[in-house]
Amino acid sequence: MRKTSMGIIAGVVGVLALSALVAAQTAPQKNAPRSPWKYYPEDARANEGPGGPAPVRDMSGTWAGESSGAGVKRLVPPEREPAFTALGKELFSKNKAESGGVLIAQSNDPHVRYCDPFGFPRNMNDQIRSMTIATVSNRTFVMLRFMNIWREIWMDGRTLPTNFAGRGPDVHDPTYNGYSVGRWTDDYTFVAETTGMAAETWATEGGYPHSVDARVTERFNRSSKNDLSLTMTMDDPKLYSRPLSLGVVNFRWIPSQTFFDFSCVPSSVQQYLKEVADPASSPSAAR
Amino acid sequence: MKVKVLMMAVLLAGFAAIDGPSFAHHGNAAFDLGTPVVLKGAVITEFRWINPHPLIKADYKDDKGNVQQWTMELGSTVSAQLIGWTRTTLQPGDVVTLYVWQAKTGVTVGRFNKVDFADGTTMRDTQTGGDDGGRADTGQRN
Repeated sequence: MRKTSMGIIAGVVGVLALSALVAAQTAPQKNAPRSPWKYYPEDARANEGPGGPAPVRDMSGTWAGESSGAGVKRLVPPEREPAFTALGKELFSKNKAESGGVLIAQSNDPHVRYCDPFGFPRNMNDQIRSMTIATVSNRTFVMLRFMNIWREIWMDGRTLPTNFAGRGPDVHDPTYNGYSVGRWTDDYTFVAETTGMAAETWATEGGYPHSVDARVTERFNRSSKNDLSLTMTMDDPKLYSRPLSLGVVNFRWIPSQTFFDFSCVPSSVQQYLKEVADPASSPSAAR
Repeated sequence: MKVKVLMMAVLLAGFAAIDGPSFAHHGNAAFDLGTPVVLKGAVITEFRWINPHPLIKADYKDDKGNVQQWTMELGSTVSAQLIGWTRTTLQPGDVVTLYVWQAKTGVTVGRFNKVDFADGTTMRDTQTGGDDGGRADTGQRN
């Protein structure tokens, strides 16, 4: 019993010591005057629990995702072993993702090398640290903090386009965010469908490919005032023999409704690659 | 054994309260996370507050009097801000002790670990700010 008590005390002391380390490093910010323009992660963390019932058919507002310091539940990642078709496997083999153990200098991830936009659906499962959702009469906008990109989900009953290739008046250009429609399926669940995403983008950080005809289903569920979850699947028969789970992303309500700026600037990326990433990965690239 | 398991459970319960990233935007495989290189008396020449990683540049005079120019990356601006960093935390001319995980290629480039300021304070990195190369808050390696 005595050893057990000592063990618990040692463990608590350890946690307190580490918390003090983090707290000491952030103390100057804590003592500074508060600004309505700034994001205070400690306030977001202190906003515990459900915060009340979810409003009906409303997910508007600014949300904190993982790695935002807001105490968000960890995401469920995309499935690890997709059922690739032969073409899907071939395309995947060409994508050299950093998360696949490739050093930056050897990666051909267009975002890592050039700061190219992620495109959808990757922008909803990679660096999704904050987003703001707003609705007008016939559309819902999802505004992503990373790279300040917005998506438009139409709610006027229109159908998705299906022709993204060849010539003719009904051909639609593929876009980075695709074409989206959505509707409330119950008072707390909003379902969006998207297709027509430019095929040069990756569906995930890990480099899963997608065709222009892929169809991604997003299921937003607001379970309380403070909690929103997003479940995504991608149906792309050309590249996957069954629908691919893109995982679950969780969000928490931000009381101050503001977040840090989070931009990717091409010139900054080039400096970073030239001065650190490439020399660190390859001696021949050293300056 | 039971005591060790209990200690770990209490520690992990504390760590779980702090949400660190479960994935890294960029990995650290290019850097030697064994023993940091210590640059005592380094002079900051530039602190670029950029993404994907802020860059810390410093001149360091080695024991032979040669000046080495070092460049190191810090966790992203968003992550760094969560633990108190701002774009003015380091200023050109600051004389500090820098701890850096050097690139395995041997060039004077690396991943920042921590900095000791002249006033006795210390600022750490996010992912590799721990003394063992892991996170300073959870001890996990991303």
